[in-house]
Amino acid sequence: MSKSKEQGIKDSYDVVIIGAGNGGLTAAAELAMRGVNLLLLEQHNLPGGFASSFVRGRFEFETSLHELYDWGPESNKGGTRRLLERYELDSEFVAVPEAYRLIVTNPDDYIDVVMPFGIDAYLDAIEKAVPGCRDSVRSFFDLAQEIDIATSFLGRSRGNPDQEVLLKEHSNFLKTAAYSVEEIEDALNIPEKAKGILNAYWLYLGIPTNRVNSTLFTSMVYGYILKGAYIPKFRSHDYTTALDAKIREFGGKIEYNTKVEKILVENGKIIGVETSNGDKIKTNHVISNASPTLTYNNLIHPKSEVPEIAYKEINARRHGISTFVVYMGLDATAEELGLKEYSYFISNIMNTEELYEELHNLEIPNVQATICLNNAIPDCSPPGTCIVSITSAFLPGAWDDVKLEEYFTVKNKIAEGLINNFEKATGAPIREHIEEIEVATPQTISRFTRAYNGVVYGYEPDSWDSIVPRLAMMNDDKHIDGLEFCGGHGKRAHGYSSSLKDGQTAALLTLQDLQKKGELK
Amino acid sequence: MNEEKEKLDITIKSNTRDLFAFTKLVPNRKKRFERASSDPITKDPMNELAVRLHPNRQYLVINEIKDETKSAKTFKLTPDPDSNTKELAYFRAGQYLSLKVQVNGVMITRPYSISSSPSDALKGFYEITIRKEEQGFLTEYIWNNWRKGTKVVSSGPEGYFYFEPLRDLKQIVGIAGGSGITPFRSMAKAIIDDTLNAKLTLLYGSSDEEDIIFYHEFKEMEKNYPSKIKIVHVLSCDVVSLEGCEQGFISKDIIEKYCNPPSSTFFVCGPQIMYEFVEAELKKLNLPTKLIRREAFGEVKDILTFPDFPKEVAEKTFKMKVQIGNSCKEVPAIATESVLVALERAHINPPSKCRSGECGFCRSLLIDGKVYINPVSDWRKGGDKRFNYFHPCASYPITDLEIIVPRDF
Repeated sequence: MSKSKEQGIKDSYDVVIIGAGNGGLTAAAELAMRGVNLLLLEQHNLPGGFASSFVRGRFEFETSLHELYDWGPESNKGGTRRLLERYELDSEFVAVPEAYRLIVTNPDDYIDVVMPFGIDAYLDAIEKAVPGCRDSVRSFFDLAQEIDIATSFLGRSRGNPDQEVLLKEHSNFLKTAAYSVEEIEDALNIPEKAKGILNAYWLYLGIPTNRVNSTLFTSMVYGYILKGAYIPKFRSHDYTTALDAKIREFGGKIEYNTKVEKILVENGKIIGVETSNGDKIKTNHVISNASPTLTYNNLIHPKSEVPEIAYKEINARRHGISTFVVYMGLDATAEELGLKEYSYFISNIMNTEELYEELHNLEIPNVQATICLNNAIPDCSPPGTCIVSITSAFLPGAWDDVKLEEYFTVKNKIAEGLINNFEKATGAPIREHIEEIEVATPQTISRFTRAYNGVVYGYEPDSWDSIVPRLAMMNDDKHIDGLEFCGGHGKRAHGYSSSLKDGQTAALLTLQDLQKKGELK
Repeated sequence: MNEEKEKLDITIKSNTRDLFAFTKLVPNRKKRFERASSDPITKDPMNELAVRLHPNRQYLVINEIKDETKSAKTFKLTPDPDSNTKELAYFRAGQYLSLKVQVNGVMITRPYSISSSPSDALKGFYEITIRKEEQGFLTEYIWNNWRKGTKVVSSGPEGYFYFEPLRDLKQIVGIAGGSGITPFRSMAKAIIDDTLNAKLTLLYGSSDEEDIIFYHEFKEMEKNYPSKIKIVHVLSCDVVSLEGCEQGFISKDIIEKYCNPPSSTFFVCGPQIMYEFVEAELKKLNLPTKLIRREAFGEVKDILTFPDFPKEVAEKTFKMKVQIGNSCKEVPAIATESVLVALERAHINPPSKCRSGECGFCRSLLIDGKVYINPVSDWRKGGDKRFNYFHPCASYPITDLEIIVPRDF
């Protein structure tokens, strides 16, 4: 163990980062590595935000991650992997065995397929499930590849892409950027059932395929199928704590249990922050891992410094889903239960719009994404046991009228329904093997992360507010001098990968600003 | 991908319209922003629910004190009218409150199971039942100072020692020792008022007749709800005169005499010494792990009883450099006392709730030195173990230390 360079909280910092979620952590790591004097403040007593873990009995559960996107194998590293490798993190990641098993239970829509990673293998499997669809699905991947290249180009351009290059080299990207994925799939004549299989990942973005922006969705599917999906070997808390260790090693200061109450602004410029512990810290730069919704509505002080347009932007956008998770430690192995896959997408019907609309109601959702962790990490729980977690979602408002005394009953009823749906779809008798169980609702999300209204998925990525216009407008969306945002509500939309990368981007933009103003010591 | 493939040229509506749609993305987004309402958002319903269910602090006042036995009292707590605690957080029978009490200038926390029913919380009160310990630093203080009207600060309801209908069998067998009966009183009341759909058979160990807490109350409940509540007293004194009592300890034979082990879920709550005995007895029954739930028993009374604790440091007091917020202090830390106790003695008050290593609220970073962590209280996450985070309430200094401790909030 090395002797620390740690010091107490000082009176002023070059940069204060609010929130140690995925974005806040990479923002801090990037700046600390470059020697910037920074303070990272987190209201909870752990790093990670959604990227965490918790222990019950003999089990340590992954809180929210299903599959890390854009990680990739040693031979074909993705951007997220390259980013975390910059910081030489001491944390292991392992590959998920298959893309997913999709089960649609209603007889009219019935599907039960296991889809592999690798584009050719995926095409073989989808052709087998839906004969004759291969060429159309191949076009989808060809297009996805072009879009992926184009979005990297756009990402590098920092909001100022060369229009000529765009037109000449990325025309298919341009022509699809304003459309939903369903419009693209129809233009490519992908058969209904093949669309259903291809759209299985929709819950990861949380809006139906007739609205979700094609750029974002195709990049996601392409990224997963091409490079595979990865997860941290020792749960997300391991890599977020590894980031914490690196930030400290680079000389950054982290303070947990410290909620920022005010971002002090004077004449449109940040001058400091105040915390729940009474700290008054001078700074001209804040990177907020809290959403614009919370930052503008609750943190900017005085309120007269919040420009009208900031409220308008928030109100124009639609807050995304919150999650509902049933975590279970089972006293039987995955093999004994007949669970062969890591990732299960299960729903009664294929229509994502109907499935989404149902999430307004406080009823048992008909859609779930379930993982059996041991099928990716065999020894993640003691011998003779396994970990299964069922995730579903609710839209803002669904839980608003729950009375205190009903809360535990309601959440148990929904958990039970999701367990029943999983048992019916897979035939695995999990209920009788529950040794540990914990249920997280939108309230739980709010309790631990303080995310606005328990929202997990940031702002919904309809085409009008998807990554293309967000990136193109990233310089327009700034309203207070010295304020940057990072995280799941950010420029790259939500998801672990997006948030991690967005943190780095926010760090680089802040650094640029510091250099421009000659504020670096 | 196939390199020789034909160049894809996609058209959604028409070439011109598709490109036009792209060029309109940014202007349209701006237009949508312009048209939107500029009202601030003032409601955050999930956060409001979270604060009601899990308040960081509850400001309470002692409304009534009842003597249960010579050494046990029940304190009825209601919201302090001078505070912003207007209602009490609802809970699940079996959960505890972590009380924050200043004793002779030292701020300490202690977990106490709630002994009243969850529905009582909705009516505006909690009850906690405390037994005076012979060398109890805190209970001595409470006996001398707590009166009707005394203000008490508590956490929200905490802990995982509650009946979980998705996991547990409807027949609960409670195994309690001493003041370990308190969560079962809450469960029994919840069963009677239908908050909890289960049955309870309670095997309750006391040293003698006079030590039995809630004797009459449980007898009454048993009489009125014979199909739901049953209590068996197990007394360890030599002569047992009380009718219908067992003499000795809660053994396998006693368990089998009154219960049907494979069709029951066991809930165990009592002092550390009782756990050790009961654990061994339950082991003989060969039950699946899922059928046995244990309440954390608080701080280990005597760390020297753990065979792997390095005995050679037992008499030592180490130097501990503590960084908290913007201050840095050096304080003494006795090897046989937890790091948390050393911090509290030095008037450093990190957050803490369970004092059993379980809740992780006091999670701190070990910068330098070594601590002994007792294996039964090591509930840390894998990542915390790898990166030297530790829980001061379940860790003991065995060298000089340098640590970073979070502030309470």
